[in-house]
Amino acid sequence: MSTTPPETATSSSTPPQTSTTGTTTTTTTTLLPNDTYPFPREFFFPPFFTRQTNLTTHHAQLTKWSTLLLSYCRHHRLFRVSLSPDVLPFHNPRINRRLALADIKSLIDFLRKDGRAEYVPLGSGSTKKDGSGSRGGGGAGGGEDGGEAFIYWRTPEEWGSLIESWVEETAQRGSVLTVYELREGEGTRGTEIWGMDGDVLVKALGTVVKRGKAQIFQSGEDSLGVKFF
Amino acid sequence: MSHRKNKAVGLAAFDRSRLTSAQYATHGSALRSSQASALETQLSVFRSLLQQFAATHAKDIKSNPTFRAQFARMCAAIGVDPLLASSHESSKGGKGQGGGDSMWAQLLGRTGLNDFYFELAVRVVEVCGETRGENGGLIEVGMVRERVVRGRVEGMGVQGVTEDDILRAVGTLKPLGSAYSVIKVGSKQYIRSVPKELNTDQSAVLEAAQVLGYVSVSMLMDNLRWTRARAQTALEDLVGEGMLWVDKQGIEWEYWSPGFMLEGDHPLEGFD
Repeated sequence: MSTTPPETATSSSTPPQTSTTGTTTTTTTTLLPNDTYPFPREFFFPPFFTRQTNLTTHHAQLTKWSTLLLSYCRHHRLFRVSLSPDVLPFHNPRINRRLALADIKSLIDFLRKDGRAEYVPLGSGSTKKDGSGSRGGGGAGGGEDGGEAFIYWRTPEEWGSLIESWVEETAQRGSVLTVYELREGEGTRGTEIWGMDGDVLVKALGTVVKRGKAQIFQSGEDSLGVKFF
Repeated sequence: MSHRKNKAVGLAAFDRSRLTSAQYATHGSALRSSQASALETQLSVFRSLLQQFAATHAKDIKSNPTFRAQFARMCAAIGVDPLLASSHESSKGGKGQGGGDSMWAQLLGRTGLNDFYFELAVRVVEVCGETRGENGGLIEVGMVRERVVRGRVEGMGVQGVTEDDILRAVGTLKPLGSAYSVIKVGSKQYIRSVPKELNTDQSAVLEAAQVLGYVSVSMLMDNLRWTRARAQTALEDLVGEGMLWVDKQGIEWEYWSPGFMLEGDHPLEGFD
């Protein structure tokens, strides 16, 4: 997103070609933190982290980033990412390149158009019932660090259907389940539902409710219950 | 009259020279036709030999990429493109007796090699289309091959596809009036899928970018002795065409060849 003009004003003494080469292209010594995700090749392509000026190129860039982010989150089962240029996968320490915050937001906006991402509302992160609470503070730091976004490598609708089929398979239609036991109970252990982000889970259940196949209600002080029909 | 004759100028002189050139032309065409018929004989002899050869070795040609490449090279050396043989001849005003089908189609049957190349051509077109956004329609032949092999199509022995095959497949697109062409930049061959000519400066930049994957203004100034403005223009043009990507996070802006995204680094190395 930087609008800095090309360095036409650099000192006339041109840097020797070799000095630019050694540092940027073949930095094989910098290791990424342990990460099992097999990053695609473009992740090691320095311009991938600079917003491309050519519109067609930029579109290709966004498409690649979308694929990368979705598959990265799927790999690590991340339901939300922190929109910060300093964290994986927006940062590649090995080539010392970062995606600027503005570019991260363009990426999220691009994903939102496909229903594959959503901003986590500021201040709502940790207060929501059963929220996974990875956002500690209130809305204070939100503006600067860019906040968080849900990344839907499965959309809430897809999660909803998945949960519904699990309920069907385990013959629990008609019984009341708490959101807590869906997320952490023995029943879902070993299924994809287990360990889901609380907010995403509630959204997922919401889509089932919208289809008239379930009902959500308050059960107890700070927990939700759900009943599938 | 005599006046004119002496000097051999005037209208009559034109007549005379016209006469001579007419004679030359007649003689020339006689020569040509005799040569042509001799060539035709040779060609038909060659053709039948080639047919025999291809018929005997049809199986090898189809299944063995090395053999296929050698067969193709042999045809090429004699100036016959087996894939395009018939269309070439008919366009020349036609001694060719084979209407429609190429020589290979005739020799090896409709489902033979011809289809192999057409299917391959389809894959090439797909790969070019898929990657056009990221490379501006210019892609290395080796890269196309890699992608074709990676996304192998069922029922197609793509694992044996060579760069030679890719180039031949691109050739099959020509009669369709396609924009696909093969160009050479530096040491590498590229398939160009947009009808866009590169100027010399742009080619020079792309060639320079093959070395390290990228170039910068100062690199061009140093190595090609260009002025800053010239370097800047060439680079911006190529960015404008989508053929280079900019990295603004280095010391100097670097202009990267998208081909390096694919060859690139070794993603998994050093992760554990």
